Amino acid sequence: MSYQPSSSYSPRRQQNWSRNQNTTRFVSSVKLGPVAHTVIIALMITVLGLIYLTQATRTTGYDYESQKIDNQIAELNDQKSDLEIENARLTALQTVKDSAVAKAMTNTAATDYVSE
Amino acid sequence: MNLDFQKGSRSRILAVLLLVIAAVFIVRLFYLQVIQHDYYTSLAGQEQIKQKTIFAERGLIYALDGDVPVPLVLNEAVYLVYADPVIVDDEDKVIETIRQVAGGSAKANLKELLGRKESRYQILATKLTRKQAEKIKEADLAGIRFQETTQRVYPEGGLAAQVLGYVNADGDGQYGVESGLADRLKGTDGLRKTVTDVTGTSLTIGDNNVEKPAKDGETLVLSLDRNIQAKAEQALATQLEKVGADHGSVVVIDPQTGKVMAMANLPTYSPATFNTVTDAAVFNNNIISNPYEPGSDIKTFTMAAGIDKGVVKASDTYNNTDYINVADRVISNATKGHTGQITFQTALNFSLNTGFVTVAQRLGDGNNITLQSRKTMYDYFHDRFRMGQLTGIELAGERPGTIISPDEVEGNAVRYSNMSFGQGMDVTMLQVAAGFSSIVNGGRYYQPSILAGTIQPDGTFKQTQAQEIATTVSSATSDQIREMTRIGRSTTFPGIDKAGYEVGGKTGTSQVVVNGQYSPTDTIGTYLGYGGGSTANYVIMVEVSGKGKAFGGSKDAMPIFTDISNWLLDYLKIQPKG
Repeated sequence: MSYQPSSSYSPRRQQNWSRNQNTTRFVSSVKLGPVAHTVIIALMITVLGLIYLTQATRTTGYDYESQKIDNQIAELNDQKSDLEIENARLTALQTVKDSAVAKAMTNTAATDYVSE
Repeated sequence: MNLDFQKGSRSRILAVLLLVIAAVFIVRLFYLQVIQHDYYTSLAGQEQIKQKTIFAERGLIYALDGDVPVPLVLNEAVYLVYADPVIVDDEDKVIETIRQVAGGSAKANLKELLGRKESRYQILATKLTRKQAEKIKEADLAGIRFQETTQRVYPEGGLAAQVLGYVNADGDGQYGVESGLADRLKGTDGLRKTVTDVTGTSLTIGDNNVEKPAKDGETLVLSLDRNIQAKAEQALATQLEKVGADHGSVVVIDPQTGKVMAMANLPTYSPATFNTVTDAAVFNNNIISNPYEPGSDIKTFTMAAGIDKGVVKASDTYNNTDYINVADRVISNATKGHTGQITFQTALNFSLNTGFVTVAQRLGDGNNITLQSRKTMYDYFHDRFRMGQLTGIELAGERPGTIISPDEVEGNAVRYSNMSFGQGMDVTMLQVAAGFSSIVNGGRYYQPSILAGTIQPDGTFKQTQAQEIATTVSSATSDQIREMTRIGRSTTFPGIDKAGYEVGGKTGTSQVVVNGQYSPTDTIGTYLGYGGGSTANYVIMVEVSGKGKAFGGSKDAMPIFTDISNWLLDYLKIQPKG
């Protein structure tokens, strides 16, 4: 028995393809007409629109969050200012002078300095 | 899709009709969306885009307490409560709540205000604090609304009122620092231009949003020390009451920097209630805005010019006859009896006019106040000591005063003889105190300044440097004048200063010009002096006056100097000499 090389080369994938072509051919019983295509395209546009709206709304949601934080900052700044004013009033000269501690103080009789 | 309609069928007619309607819509939409695009975009923008000014906060003002900045002027949010009487449904509850929370800030006639149904805006209470406004908000009253504004708050009350000035209802600074440094205090408003929703919340939709933040005003730190300021005001008030004077001023300067440590005027006012002031004169800071004839305080300046020019020394003598002739005028001493050959030190001790006219003569040919003499005096008084011109201090309302030039007809020998003892010239207290500071500090003239620095956004205190702008006299001249004024004070008023310190000064009693003539009754008492240990640590100038009243430098003004000076020696922790 002698080996005879084939005169034409057929790749393996092509062989498989050719082989599978003989299997059962499926034909859908549902036919899409022009109206159905139009509706599907309209639906796709609607979905894309909704996706866009979702993203846009999400950005707006951040705006509300940002506004809330700004309000908190303003509120805290107001409180800080109030406290600073209160602190300034409590440490004002007249307040200190009128305090019980100040009233209990006495004047120094004399001051001595030590030379370095 | 291929639709076949029979010619003339109802379906065909309907189709054509629909096509026509569709065409009308398309044309209309094209017109609205393409041709009228800009117009409707603009209309939509007006509805959706809101422009809001972001108001800059006015800068705060601090003073010093030693080296530490302390607030003098702050901003506080206050609220105005108003009602829309049409919407208010429970008047009794509104009245009860407003009265309970606002107290004295509420209007007296709330019932009447709420009854004005033809109006949509009735103010019920003003200047409520944030806490008060929140309490009213919590009551959830229909038809009650709030407006937020800011107002200046003065924790130290009326301290340094004329230095600070005030902010009027339009938000403009008036007088003092509020006006003088308004550009630095007011800041720059910002802008926000965005699409907003119905509640006014800014949205990041759109391409034309603008966000320009406001730049708040600077927080300034004045060189005033609040303790020295309070002491100056208290000492001034006590003495004015004691001697029955109507007006008085005190300025305290650090001669080593030119920084003003205190600046007090009486009568004064409270900036928080500036709108209740009936006499607008109290807004003026007389130390910078009221030029006057300074009188004998100026003898120290004349002596400094003479010593610096080498024509006279404290120990030099002249023949005092209590009178001296200048051109066709006879100038006499106010204090008589120290006649004969006396020293210039004696002339200073007893404030003898003849001694200083003699100095002016020696600046000329020795016997006359020549043009050369007058030019020399003008050079010292005007150009070196910078009297008769604006000092440039950062306060509104400064006036220059007048020193007549020898080049003018009025700048003759008689005028300059008068100027040698402080008459015939108009200068401010600040000019005199700043010039004297340069005489006692070694001859360095520092730009008088009320500003110690600024507080940076990160909270740090950035100091401004003192500006030395001229040399007035030599160091040797400075030493001699310090010594002369020290001897003058300790000889004439022994034992009034704390022992071990160097304190010197000169009295001044000035006549007042009324309608172009010297008043026979009115005199202004002043005292100009310095104090310290081995160097001059402070210069104080005091003025006491009153309409129709005569005040003297030694009797009425000097006690204020002495009071403040002795207190300052302790407060500044100055060590005695030796």
